[in-house]
Amino acid sequence: MSQAEKLPTLKRHKLNFAFREKLNSVPEGFRHNYCYQCSACVADCPANNYSDSFNPRLILLKAILGFEDELIAPGSEIWNCTNCYTCSERCPQDVRPVDVIIALKNLCIREGKAPALVTTVSDSVLESGMTTKVTPLAEKRRSEYGLAAIKSSPVDDIKKILEDD
Amino acid sequence: MKYTPFFGCMMTTKYPWFDSSVRKTVASIGLDLVDAEGFTCCPDPIYFQARDKMDWYTVAARNIAVAEDAGHDIITTCSGCTATLSEVNLALKEDEELKEKVNKRLKKIGREYKGSINVRHAVTVLRDDYGLDRVAETVTRPLEGLKVAVHYGCHLLKPSRVMRVDDPDRPTILENLLKAIGAEPIHHDKTLLCCGRACMTDSIPNSMVADIMDSIKNQNADCMGLICPTCFDEFDLGQIVLGRKLKRTFNVPVVYYFQLLGLAQGLTPEEVGLNMHKVKAERLFEMAAA
Repeated sequence: MSQAEKLPTLKRHKLNFAFREKLNSVPEGFRHNYCYQCSACVADCPANNYSDSFNPRLILLKAILGFEDELIAPGSEIWNCTNCYTCSERCPQDVRPVDVIIALKNLCIREGKAPALVTTVSDSVLESGMTTKVTPLAEKRRSEYGLAAIKSSPVDDIKKILEDD
Repeated sequence: MKYTPFFGCMMTTKYPWFDSSVRKTVASIGLDLVDAEGFTCCPDPIYFQARDKMDWYTVAARNIAVAEDAGHDIITTCSGCTATLSEVNLALKEDEELKEKVNKRLKKIGREYKGSINVRHAVTVLRDDYGLDRVAETVTRPLEGLKVAVHYGCHLLKPSRVMRVDDPDRPTILENLLKAIGAEPIHHDKTLLCCGRACMTDSIPNSMVADIMDSIKNQNADCMGLICPTCFDEFDLGQIVLGRKLKRTFNVPVVYYFQLLGLAQGLTPEEVGLNMHKVKAERLFEMAAA
């Protein structure tokens, strides 16, 4: 489906400018205000080139108009961003679209609306200090290549620095 | 020169032969890697950053502070770690208010982020601190005639405002480092395409990986050469998984730059772990046996 055919879905929404305030409260979220919808972010976006639905300009537009239900959801398009930062290279307004998308992801987490994988992987960092598992096989391989055993990560330190300020 | 290596989760647990290949090869060039104690995950630029950006700044700042105590620049070997540590380092250097907030949190464990060191990927250190000629001097078995299809991955180059390594649209760093060891870098249609690992749905990265594999096959390259263990995961094991799904065989060997450097310095394919890959780089075994 072409993007032009997708646009009419916009009509079904009520504008919600209060969402902009919410997005402004997350680190780097304020950058969405700089977007003037020029589309420079779209042409070289790999997720756009390889799907019918991902479009960084439309994500920015939805943020500006406050289409909160579409953006803040586990099935939201934002989760298909490849984080390649090509859009940030192309943007003439310093919107840094990837950073706005990350701010939207932070809002999803805050509201319990992120895909399970995000919490699984990031929980692992909080619990073990790593995203991957230290297995007996990993230790065996390391010693075969002459590497030192893996030291346990200072997870108590992580817990302390992430406690509520 | 002394550097503090930051190998990250993937290389530490899944691909230790990349870790050892880096250590062995850069020592010959003159780098002195002094391990620091107390690192955690960088933390990862995709999931952990998506969870909470302020927490992401904080954990990364703690890692940088650990290295600051050792007093040397951080040398990274994974593009994900490079992305997190470089971006947080720059954000805290540029934003005094953010730095204060982070330091308030680090104070609870007696640490402080100062902003006194830089974070650089190992290939950047080779180019800028030692030079291509120095890399070439360590070569005893030039990889003549080896066609390496270059895969940059995203986070060595972008965002260029942060990374400041090369032109993100016309980079030359990896091509030049391959030439320095006698190999022939092959620029293909998808040289700069992302590996797609961060996407939550499979269809986008699947199509990207298939296109990259086909683009490399069209150039008759002997292998793909890259510098990130996550990209490696996506292409080595990834092409097998995808091949089963599509009922196709890609058979594109994927090699980490420091394995190639090791072979060029006279190490055996087994010493650099080439026998551990899902898709074997036959041409490299032949060259080493010749």
